[in-house]
Amino acid sequence: MPRQCDICHEARAIVRRPKTGQSICKECFFYVFETEVHNTIVDSKLFKPGDRVGIGASGGKDSTVLAYVMKALNDRYNYGLDLYLLSVDEGISGYRDDSLETVKRNKEQYGLPLLIVSYEQLYGWSMDSIVAAVGRKNNCTFCGVFRRQALDRGALMLDLDHIVTGHNADDVAETILMNIFRGDISRLGRCTEIATSGEGYVVRSKPFKYAYEKEIVMYAYLRRLDYFSTECTYSPNAYRGYAREFLKKLERVRPSAILDIIHSGEAMHVAKDVQLPSLDRCQRCGYISSNSVCKACVLLEGLERGIPKLGISRTKQDVEAGPRENDLVHFEKLRQEALEMRRSRQKSESCQQSACACTENCS
Amino acid sequence: MCDATDTPAMESQPQLQKERVVGTPSKLCVKCKAAKPSVSIRRSLYCRDCFVRASVTKFRTALSKSRKRMPVARARVMVALSGGATSSAMLQLMADYQRMELKGYAAEPTYASVVAGHVDESALFSGYDDAQICDIAAAIDIECRVARLEDVFALEGDRAALLELVHATIAPGTTRDQFCVQLTRGDESKPAREQLRALFAGLGSATDREDMLDIIKAFLLARLARQAQCELLLLGDSGTRIASKLVSLTSRGRGFSLPLEVGAETPFLGSSSSGVMAYRPMRDLIMKEIAFFNLWTRQPSVVVPTFTTGAPETASIDRLTESFVVGLDRDFVSTVPTVCRTVQKLELCPEALTAAQCIVCSMPAEANAQAWRNRLTVNVAPSEQSLEHDIAPSADIQSPLSSFGVTAHLCYSCQSLLHFAKPGVALPAFCLENYREQATTSPPSDAENDVDADSQQRRESLRLRIEEFFI
Repeated sequence: MPRQCDICHEARAIVRRPKTGQSICKECFFYVFETEVHNTIVDSKLFKPGDRVGIGASGGKDSTVLAYVMKALNDRYNYGLDLYLLSVDEGISGYRDDSLETVKRNKEQYGLPLLIVSYEQLYGWSMDSIVAAVGRKNNCTFCGVFRRQALDRGALMLDLDHIVTGHNADDVAETILMNIFRGDISRLGRCTEIATSGEGYVVRSKPFKYAYEKEIVMYAYLRRLDYFSTECTYSPNAYRGYAREFLKKLERVRPSAILDIIHSGEAMHVAKDVQLPSLDRCQRCGYISSNSVCKACVLLEGLERGIPKLGISRTKQDVEAGPRENDLVHFEKLRQEALEMRRSRQKSESCQQSACACTENCS
Repeated sequence: MCDATDTPAMESQPQLQKERVVGTPSKLCVKCKAAKPSVSIRRSLYCRDCFVRASVTKFRTALSKSRKRMPVARARVMVALSGGATSSAMLQLMADYQRMELKGYAAEPTYASVVAGHVDESALFSGYDDAQICDIAAAIDIECRVARLEDVFALEGDRAALLELVHATIAPGTTRDQFCVQLTRGDESKPAREQLRALFAGLGSATDREDMLDIIKAFLLARLARQAQCELLLLGDSGTRIASKLVSLTSRGRGFSLPLEVGAETPFLGSSSSGVMAYRPMRDLIMKEIAFFNLWTRQPSVVVPTFTTGAPETASIDRLTESFVVGLDRDFVSTVPTVCRTVQKLELCPEALTAAQCIVCSMPAEANAQAWRNRLTVNVAPSEQSLEHDIAPSADIQSPLSSFGVTAHLCYSCQSLLHFAKPGVALPAFCLENYREQATTSPPSDAENDVDADSQQRRESLRLRIEEFFI
């Protein structure tokens, strides 16, 4: 006999919900998944009406589902957001070029404007050329550091208020575990925050913070969303692999474990006298940094000087302080341009309004 | 989605390097630099004598570091003795320390007396012999006091009763947890031992059973210490154990009370054990060191059975984390000390100092734990959504029976613990005692509002009691 849905008690159950173990029907699954994301957004007051929100889109399952759900919730609950797709092209052939095709299709499917910023264009190096220079070891460091900046640069180009990324509950729980294993107390305190203030940059948040990876895949599958599912062709992160493997086993022992870890992480309180790194601005590009020159500029200098170990290896090699000739576009400049864009937008809006008011008065 | 965006510097983290085999040119003990080494601890080679001496020093250093938080001068000490390797070693180390002080090396001994305290688990595990464990203490002239697991079901006095879980749902068609209980005299013909077994049989999984066993053992040990008028209880948590406990407690959603459960010095919060303080002086020794210490000092110990002894690693959360932490420590040599250092940097968050206590585990229970979970595991169909708003998630629903809700009196983790428990399971007697104590000062309906002057006063006194222990 077919099983009834544990939630609506009407339709036939077709999935076993990974988070709770309930057998539920398709519609109830969509409803609970979306509502939980909505609850997350509302409870943590992520957005305000009129915000320009960029969805970090890679073409993978998380960001594809995020784009779909964000658009759906924005329409359903009238968040009043202007949504954009923001993609980073790392320049990895056989991986990113294909996944960007997916993002381009998503742009059409969801009717959202898309901006692609590429490493090539921002830094003058694509990941393929970086790997050719440094080899397969450590190349994820370059990619990670560059991506963080690239998203911020892209956000300023679009004058966004907010970027949402597809990090899911599994990612957050893994990060908590990893920070415990590594004793990284300052990150342990920060990694559970749903939104990072960005210290003057664009706010970033993770609306999928409490969404299980398995449920995201399930959602994409059941909605027949168009996403790209190939692992990066370059090396995966070894240490995270340990935490990931452990988390998967934990989930098997007790499905609520992922949520429980996040709950624990949020309640953890770092002792006040623990020294946290102070934050400063990079002297070259103006990006936020705990040193005088930010990691991206150090890595870039290493690439250009032909010493790719610079900034990675523990052996101290000199990084010249202060600005150099061919530095990245300064963040202050990008910010000014964004401000300019905002002003002209506001101007055209007020023009429209006053024109409208005028015609009313006239008639 | 790339994983590296949050932690770009991950690969260059120096803390965790795979252990490399380092050839020591001299191949001599690092301490005396004369004898041939017998053991390698974290890449350092020790000879037998130096190793034993180093272990003694580690224990004494940890103990004296904790001393600054001693509740009273010349405290009486109870050493918790399960009979396992760590607690047996700890008993020997503590007995030696006390003997040395009494011999007159110190003007006045730091601790007034030392006794051992043991919880007999024979009700749950067959092939368990507590005489063997008392012998470990007797061999070094230490008195051993014993409590039995089933003691938590021994009913005394007129008001003796138990809390029994009743099955209750908030509304037809929903499966949202409402933790409702009713008072029961219990089946008086049923011996306490049977009731204990019924409790464990009624729990949902090996993880839940381990959780409940830990709670009962902690309660019994603290009560034993108080009955013996000891102010200090030494718990035999090795560094390895603390590391895996931290991960396991985190995985069970116990982040809120974590510093109270794995810290170097922690107070007991339950009413029947107030004033007792726990130290974890074995925290700087890893399991390997303890095994060698016991071998070379001929310290006897027994194998303490658990629910998952011999089971595959996915049998329970404790079992899984233990094998994971041990494996990680083997591959990344500094994992255990790193995790232990992390523990010391965590402190109780301010809300925990004033929070109500969970009636099961006596740990601070965060307000609105269930509401948090319900927001993130939506359980009602779209059509029933309005219903959800009518009933506040934390409100305790009176069902037709003489039952009452205790959701507000359960911590997040104990809610998970009871989630899969069978209706009709009777909780240990101390749960009712804890509930009575809470209910008299803060009625359940006000538990979250915290407006009651009495309860505020009580919480303030609780806060004062534990405040000094956290920086």
